[in-house]
Amino acid sequence: MLLQVIASGVLMGFVYALVAIGLTLIWGVMDIINFAHGEFLMISMYTVFWMYTLLKFDPFVSLPVAALLIFVISYLTYKIIIKRVIDAPGLTALLATFGLSLFIRNLAQFLWSPDYRFVTTSLVADKKITMGPVIIGLPQMAAAMGSIIMTVLVFYFIQKTKTGRAIQATALDRDTAKLMGIDTEKVYAITFGISGACVGVAGALMATFFPVYPESGALYSLLAFVIVALGGFGNIKGALYGGIIIGLAEALGGFAFGTQFKYAVVFLIYLLVIQVRPKGLFGW
Amino acid sequence: MKKFFSLILVLFLVAGLILAGCGQQKQAQEQPAQQNQDTKQETQTVKIGAILPLSGSAAATGVKLKYAIETAQEIINGEHPEINMELAKSAGLPNLNGAKVEFIFADHQANPEVAKSEAERLIQNEKVVGLIGCYHSSATKPASQVAERFQIPFVAGSSSSAALTERGLKWFTRIAPHDGMETVLFFDYLKFLNEKYSAGIKKVAVVYIDNEYGVHAFEMVKKTIENYKADGFELVADIKYPANVSNVDTEVQKVKAAKPDAIFHASYIGDMTQFVKKYKELNVVPKVVLSYCGGYQDPQFVVNLGKDADYFSGPNATTSALFSKMPDLEKINEIYKAKSGVDIDGPTLEDFASAMVIAEAINKAGTTEPAKVLEALKTQEFAAPYFVSGKIKFGDDGQNIHSASVMTQIQNGIYEAVWPTDYQTKEPIPAFPDWSKR
Repeated sequence: MLLQVIASGVLMGFVYALVAIGLTLIWGVMDIINFAHGEFLMISMYTVFWMYTLLKFDPFVSLPVAALLIFVISYLTYKIIIKRVIDAPGLTALLATFGLSLFIRNLAQFLWSPDYRFVTTSLVADKKITMGPVIIGLPQMAAAMGSIIMTVLVFYFIQKTKTGRAIQATALDRDTAKLMGIDTEKVYAITFGISGACVGVAGALMATFFPVYPESGALYSLLAFVIVALGGFGNIKGALYGGIIIGLAEALGGFAFGTQFKYAVVFLIYLLVIQVRPKGLFGW
Repeated sequence: MKKFFSLILVLFLVAGLILAGCGQQKQAQEQPAQQNQDTKQETQTVKIGAILPLSGSAAATGVKLKYAIETAQEIINGEHPEINMELAKSAGLPNLNGAKVEFIFADHQANPEVAKSEAERLIQNEKVVGLIGCYHSSATKPASQVAERFQIPFVAGSSSSAALTERGLKWFTRIAPHDGMETVLFFDYLKFLNEKYSAGIKKVAVVYIDNEYGVHAFEMVKKTIENYKADGFELVADIKYPANVSNVDTEVQKVKAAKPDAIFHASYIGDMTQFVKKYKELNVVPKVVLSYCGGYQDPQFVVNLGKDADYFSGPNATTSALFSKMPDLEKINEIYKAKSGVDIDGPTLEDFASAMVIAEAINKAGTTEPAKVLEALKTQEFAAPYFVSGKIKFGDDGQNIHSASVMTQIQNGIYEAVWPTDYQTKEPIPAFPDWSKR
């Protein structure tokens, strides 16, 4: 049973990590906490759900559509809302994204009702892998794989491409980057877009095993904040490790102390880490 | 660009107004409650307030409850000789010279504060002579306290928290069985399965959400199981999970390790569905799963899970499978379905009952004078041919002493009545087949 708990924890950890990667990018590059991150996740889940319900598309077919859609939404969010507040005092951007999250959540409830919905069939639905005493659901496995692939892609994009290096430069020092001829405006918009694409992929993968409803992004985004702080702001690898730590802490904590305390364990670890290493475990 | 920004701002404001407007309350004008209606008004219209969650997270349910109360209003005010109920035969309330009944609806948005102020508004401004509602126990609580203060009778339909009838309120009554009664029903049903089908059910696990509803349900199990120890029942696990849960992996592994024969669930639709999916993934096969009033009773449970919803059980005030056995219920459902497009379900029928009972109490009292209506409520028995119990009678604490529930089990996607045997539409199946063999 312990093995099973660990396996479940690690798999959930990958999913948490995927949600957190988008958040850590924005946080690291722009110093903005995007409170609407969970709502972008929810929109992605609804996109997959409606494409499945109305057009009978498998979630894996709708995945690129969801990723692209959230990329565009995020890009526009930057252009329309964030751009205007980025130079204002810190709290302004935070409140702007907070307002946006409330707006999107209520709009979703208004348009699609508060019902819990599920994508009931997909390529991976109801399939599982049995390895001795350990049973692993294929939807979770697929989400974990997707998470790893996405992390690697984003990591290489940031490290190896010209745009990626521009993002890094802007993150380090915006003004100097500007002097070097980097269009920081564009960099910010693209960062927001990539963050959206990450959460778009996460939403599409999660819709295969998690209920879709207007509040479905809220808890995940809260956990993502913890992971980002744990892994180090702006650190993509840190988000991946942070996700796994949180996934394991939740599973093992719930197993050892009772399931009602599983989030208490998660937040306790978070509190301890920021006391000892305020920059996060993998921050610099 | 400035123009564009202003446009977005205006859009935000308009959306905000729409959302806020749904729940806007009319300003209450401070006027003392006029409790004695003059006779002229009595012969015309009797106003009763109905406070429901018409917007907010439970709006989908609230709208159905409204249709049910409108159905009751139609039956009372019109002539429906085909339905065997006192108020159906003639138009209006016969003992009040055929006075018509009008239900005034108010929206509490699942917010206890709003429920309270709406109750005050209905009593003071709308001059209602009775109140019904509010679905959420948390909203019924303050609203019924307002009714107590103004000495106006309150009949709750589907609110199930046992605490409501433990407050010693004089003006409060409740139709639905509370979770304490449901727990007794659960154990009696398990005994029945053991005796009739040799199901061999002994080990019980309780899985419950960490809020008032779940925790109270678990306390009831802990208390009640003491009386059933002689029948061999033992509690092998109690698993409490956070109200907002992102996954239930660990919870289900704990359930699996305890190897229970029966699982009692106090869960809502979202978490309940996640549990079922995880039971399937980890191949948890108990003999029976019983659910308190919550996620299981929501027809969305079958929609979301398809054949995986089969074999789950729970008490329900009614089920469409029963309609053919209960002609009056079938006719009520016809009127309801014409309005709502769906069959009447358990909680909805309980709120329909609350509307019928308060009107009948006024009719039996022959007046809208609150004290006399209360006396009728507390002393008389009300015929309820739409419930399997057939009648409603309130005890001293205001609780309906006749449990209005039947045990149902989902078989081939249909909520079948399986117990008591008099109302059986299908025999219960006291074992879960292996998940791979469905």
